[in-house]
Order: sequence, then C-alpha cells, then structure tokens
Amino acid sequence: MSNRRSSRQSSSTAPRISDDQMIDLVTKLRQILPEIGQRRRSDKVSASKVLQETCNYIRNLNREVDNLSERLSQLLESVDEDSPEAAVIRSLFM
Amino acid sequence: MQPTSSMNEEFLKKWQMGLQIVRPSIDNTSVSERKKAIKLSADIAMASLRKGTTCWSRALIQKTATEDNFLVRQMLSGIKEEALINKRLPKKVVCHRKIVRRSKKILRRKTKSACEEAAAKAKKLVKRRTQGLRNVVPGGDLMSNDVLLLQETLDYIMSLQTQVNVMRSIVDAAEAGTEQ
Repeated sequence: MSNRRSSRQSSSTAPRISDDQMIDLVTKLRQILPEIGQRRRSDKVSASKVLQETCNYIRNLNREVDNLSERLSQLLESVDEDSPEAAVIRSLFM
Repeated sequence: MQPTSSMNEEFLKKWQMGLQIVRPSIDNTSVSERKKAIKLSADIAMASLRKGTTCWSRALIQKTATEDNFLVRQMLSGIKEEALINKRLPKKVVCHRKIVRRSKKILRRKTKSACEEAAAKAKKLVKRRTQGLRNVVPGGDLMSNDVLLLQETLDYIMSLQTQVNVMRSIVDAAEAGTEQ
C-alpha cells in the first residue's frame, strides 16, 4: 500500500488523501452523484464539496431504507388478504 | 460502476431469508418492532453480499449483532462471516486533534503568503469532511488510511443503492393496489 508522506511537518497519524486519489474518487462519484458531474476543477475546495455531497448522499440512502422499512411494516398490518399485493408480500416472507 | 441485476437478486434472496426468519417473531408485535426487524434483515443481507471482504460490511454485521444477535447468527450460519460476530474489533483510531491543532497554530504564525494560508484552510476542511465521512460509513472510525476509507465508501454506496433499489421495488409493488 503506498503511503504518500506529506512534505510538511505534520503530526497527523493518517496519510492525507492525495490529489490523484481525490480525482479518482470524483470520477467514480460522478457516475453515482449526477449533480456534481458539472464540476471540472479538482482542487482542494472541490474535494471538500465532494466529500460533503458523499456524506449527504449516504445519509439520504440510509433515511430511505428506514422509510421503506416503515412502509413495509405498515403494509403488513393493513393489506387485504386476498389482494395481489398481499401475494407480493407473502412471497417476500415465505 | 453501478449495482448489477445479479447483486439485486442476491440481495433479495438474502433479505427474503432474513424476513422468513423473523416472520414468526413479528406477527403480533408493534409496527416499530416489525420495522426494526425488516431493516436489520435488510442490513445483514446487504453486508453479507460482500462475504466479509470489506471493512464496512464486517463492521455493520458486528453492529447489527449487538441489536439482534439471534437474527445475525441465523442469517449467517454456515457462512464464514459467522466468525465475524465474535471477532474482536481493532482499536479505534484516535486523532489527537488538540496536539495537531497546537502544532499547526505555531506553524501558521510563520506562514508568509495568504495563498499558503488558503491552501492550509482548504486542507483542514478536507480533513474535517473526511472525518464526517468516517462517521457515516460503518467501521469508518477504524480506518486510519484515507485511501481505504474512500474505497470502502464507494463500495458501501453501491451496496446501499442495491438495498434501496430492491426495497423500493418491493414496497412500491406492494403499495400499488392499496391506494385505491
């Protein structure tokens, strides 16, 4: 594993994210987060924005999973036994 | 790099397995208990897709095991991830921020140009955002290597997308007729 040493005096324990690695991440995230695909700069300011967008995206996904679990849980209560939807849910649980 | 349909299928299968396991225990419970069981089985299903090869998936399994040890054991029984439940976690990385901050303050006083200061500020912001990322990725605070953190993040996002896509399809289909 290549650990790039920072040339400045620094007492941090973790190797910093290098520019190349950040560019690589931006490229990959661009495919996942279409909103940031318009940015062309790859300097440090954009890097922090990318990280922030990533954090937000992850939080949103988690929230959605939570919401979907809630909805499914409600459905189990209210679904009409003979409906096709009940069949979908039943097939899920069997 | 997008979630594939085979990932979707695999997730669905594993999630179904989990739901079948919790089925008997949630028949007469509250909505929130059921929701928790549904979510936990979805999380284990998502984590088990990685077969223990990523840090986030191992951390997620261990965290879920503290909430429902039985379910995790059942879903992972026979698979090698079962060993992960009891595996000791490495020590969390503690960044001695006060020390770093103090030494950086001293350094900054000697900085000459405003340009250098701006770059230093930007670097500090990246550092803070990186720590933010550690807080949302399972096991993130155990990853001192930033490169590893980024790789894990990408894999975690892809897995989350799989989880969301499959769950969304199921729930949408199930709700389709109930809104009449």
